[in-house]
Amino acid sequence: MRRAGFAVLLALVMLPALAIDKAPPLPDPVQQQRYQGLIHELRCLKCQGETVADTQAMFGEDIRRQVREMVQAGKSDSEVRQYLVDRYGQIILLRPRWSAGNAWLWLAPGIFLLGGAWIAWRILRQRRDLLATDTSEVGDEAGRT
Amino acid sequence: MNRFAIPLGIFAVLVVVFAVALKRAPEKQFVQSALIGKPAPDFVLPDLLAEGGTVDSRHFKGRWFLLNVWGTWCYECRAEHAQLLAIQKEGKVAVVGLNYKDENDAAREWLQELGNPFEAVAVDKEGRAAIDYGVYGAPESFLVNPQGIIVHKVVSVITPELWQNTLLPMVEGKTP
Repeated sequence: MRRAGFAVLLALVMLPALAIDKAPPLPDPVQQQRYQGLIHELRCLKCQGETVADTQAMFGEDIRRQVREMVQAGKSDSEVRQYLVDRYGQIILLRPRWSAGNAWLWLAPGIFLLGGAWIAWRILRQRRDLLATDTSEVGDEAGRT
Repeated sequence: MNRFAIPLGIFAVLVVVFAVALKRAPEKQFVQSALIGKPAPDFVLPDLLAEGGTVDSRHFKGRWFLLNVWGTWCYECRAEHAQLLAIQKEGKVAVVGLNYKDENDAAREWLQELGNPFEAVAVDKEGRAAIDYGVYGAPESFLVNPQGIIVHKVVSVITPELWQNTLLPMVEGKTP
């Protein structure tokens, strides 16, 4: 009984997932996989926190159809992306491209990592120097009451 | 050196960065069109107002035209309608409608009730022409010059102020 209840609950919980992309999968599994990959990397412009894959907005539906048709027509991933960027701009790509304008996006993590490493190295060196110049003996401390 | 100097410096830089970003937020609220300065995509679509006829976008080349994406399901389109009528009355641009994902009967009824500002209304039931134009909602409007180049996109309602201060000066050649 509890098991059946759990199964029903699980099915109910998963219902929204079924409702989003109503289109049947592409006959070619490789193409279906590429289609899935592409729509998970596209931003829904109507609801900017969501991917085209996860949105119920009309916009997502139309873009999914467009991507599906282009994949089926034998267009490459980059051709599909370029097609959309030409019309909607780079914002539609959830994975930003490497360009002069957003180079800092890609470089920032490295810069922060190097900066952090430099600070850590300085602190460690300071401590080592302190130890090297420390002439007090352990006994001095231990002997105190 | 004061040990707080570096964190304080970083903090100050961040404050400036965020202040600038916040100040610029309103103009970044809407996705800027990637199509500005590019030729307006051509379309041939069914004509809402002439059964069996088609609307060909190339027909409007050689004139300024305003392509307005609308639908009866779109609340703001109702708010925009009076201004579209005013623009049409002024006669400086051809107002062309792109009826986006709508029902033909409802759309015709809407125009009968509120008046028709459109020289022609193309029916884009599936939203394919809309994708070509980079549309992601309604209302959206594109101002196209006589050479067929998109010079401006409005992602929201065309208010009287927007028309007077931004779009009309473009049409009259007062802004580059």
